[in-house]
Amino acid sequence: MKQVLRMIRIQDLVKVYKLGEIEVKALKNVNLHIKAAEFTSVMGPSGSGKSTLMNILGCLDRPTSGYYYLDQIQVDRMSPDELAEIRNKKIGFVFQSFNLLSRSSALKNVELPMLYAGVKPNERKERAVEALEKVGLSDRLHHKPNELSGGQRQRVAIARSLVNNPSIILADEPTGNLDSKSGIEIMDIFERLNEEGTTIILVTHEPDIASMAKRVIHFKDGEMVDDHETGKAEVSV
Amino acid sequence: MNLLESVKIALEAIFSNKMRSLLTMLGIIIGISSVIIIVSLGHGSQQMILKEFESFGVNRAYLGLSWRENPRLRDYISKDDINILSEAFSKEIKGMSPMVSDSGKVIKRTEEIRVELSGVNEEFNKIENISMKKGRFLLETDMKTRRSAAVIDEKLALKVFGRTDVLEEEITVDLRNGQETFIIIGVMEDKPAPFGNLGGYEPPLAIYVPITNMEQMLGMNGNYWGLEINFNKGVNANQTLSRMISIIERRHNSEGKNLYITYTAESELQMVNQIMSILTLVVGAIAAISLVVGGIGVMNIMLVSVTERTKEIGIRKAIGAKYKDVMMQFLVEAIIISAIGGIIGILFGILISAIIAVIIGFPPAVSIISILIATLFSISVGIFFGFYPARKASKMDPINALRYE
Repeated sequence: MKQVLRMIRIQDLVKVYKLGEIEVKALKNVNLHIKAAEFTSVMGPSGSGKSTLMNILGCLDRPTSGYYYLDQIQVDRMSPDELAEIRNKKIGFVFQSFNLLSRSSALKNVELPMLYAGVKPNERKERAVEALEKVGLSDRLHHKPNELSGGQRQRVAIARSLVNNPSIILADEPTGNLDSKSGIEIMDIFERLNEEGTTIILVTHEPDIASMAKRVIHFKDGEMVDDHETGKAEVSV
Repeated sequence: MNLLESVKIALEAIFSNKMRSLLTMLGIIIGISSVIIIVSLGHGSQQMILKEFESFGVNRAYLGLSWRENPRLRDYISKDDINILSEAFSKEIKGMSPMVSDSGKVIKRTEEIRVELSGVNEEFNKIENISMKKGRFLLETDMKTRRSAAVIDEKLALKVFGRTDVLEEEITVDLRNGQETFIIIGVMEDKPAPFGNLGGYEPPLAIYVPITNMEQMLGMNGNYWGLEINFNKGVNANQTLSRMISIIERRHNSEGKNLYITYTAESELQMVNQIMSILTLVVGAIAAISLVVGGIGVMNIMLVSVTERTKEIGIRKAIGAKYKDVMMQFLVEAIIISAIGGIIGILFGILISAIIAVIIGFPPAVSIISILIATLFSISVGIFFGFYPARKASKMDPINALRYE
């Protein structure tokens, strides 16, 4: 039995954007706990605050007020460089538009997070190959992104997100740019990773994709309006 | 991330956009190569002048009347003065001769050949490095007998007679107050002019005749306004000259009137060197401006590159690149562009200055120091002009950068 940890603990989280004179409350007092090895979907219309939440969860942005603990570390008041280190070690990103370096091979793209983590070249390559094998791309190591299909590109991105053994994987509409077949393949990979114990948070607006997660959270107007477990949820302690 | 990784990434970026990188480097290449060329031409001509001075005699000096002080005839340097000075400074002086010159021309059918007719004594060939091709230089007996003897330049012999074997031939010179005919007793080897025939200018060809003869022609009576001197090696020219002046002043009761002035080749050389150095510096500085322009080109392209690669910066930052990682990446890229430009510029500079040196006949003089400075300078240009774009890149907000299309 897995040890259940509160991987993410968010308390009274507020994010206010200033657009000139006008203040926009993108997140209003959000409280959210996500346990280790959970697979959570975040849904909501555009402008609901889900992207803002993802940015804060991904340590790309800081909240205006409130607390955010990631893997027992308080990250809400960290400096940009400290956040960069947290992103590097604890978070794996998967984006809708893949966001791979177009000039670099799949292998180099997957090596990138380890480059900034200071991993030695030999180990870097070894681990990158391993991660690419895990997503079924061991025969595409030296292909550049434009020589790969959308599904393959997203798998490279997943390999990249995994390679530093992060605490959570944040996937922002990972299937948005893919045909349904590739989308299902990608979701299968996420499910498998989750079964192996990776915490996954997935933003989507497609209900059937969302329903593949164990828990679905709905956002509207900067507030969490719904939080339920799908039938897939394991019985947790 | 260490420096080596930054260098690798920078090289990848530079080589993935070869044409643009090359164009960016062009400014640096032109700047560095022109600085190298100018500095080496400056050094080359300086060495050339030094060589010229050496053949002319570094220990040479001139002692003469200062026309500013309105000297009277009794202040002129007399034959007795010369004899006394020769004796008093026999150890220091290698050769000393009064010199009286006039310009004239030798007419050969319809062609006029400009000549410089100089009256000198028998010691003059110890002052100027004269080597004889044919015959001999003037002797003491030529002075005493006021012989109409002439020692002429090899070039002049060729022009007038079409050969150098012209001893005992007669040569007639047109002077302002009439014609004079001399018997040629010697032909001197031609000395190449310092800068060849730049601009088509040909200096008048030299004819040396006995000073006594010249005096008679010009109606002088053994009083001279100047002495050409060559000191022995190791003699302090300026010190000796001031001692010589004090002897002359005592003999003419003109102490403290500053009637006599001196020139030494040494101080002339120093002055020329100084002028050349300043000139090189000034022109070099102007060339260095092109380096600054080149640097601005680097900054311009780096700014474009940063904007173009906003997405890449966003990806790198999202994945964990820190402020200094991004800074390093772009700074190193700017430095490498400038450094490669600098190296190409140095090679170009060496090549072109070598070609110019061959054409003009300079000794090639690309100094290691100018190469070192050029290298350092191009790297500094990279750092200076790469800093702002690199800072801009490193300060990007990852969310906005990721959103950039």
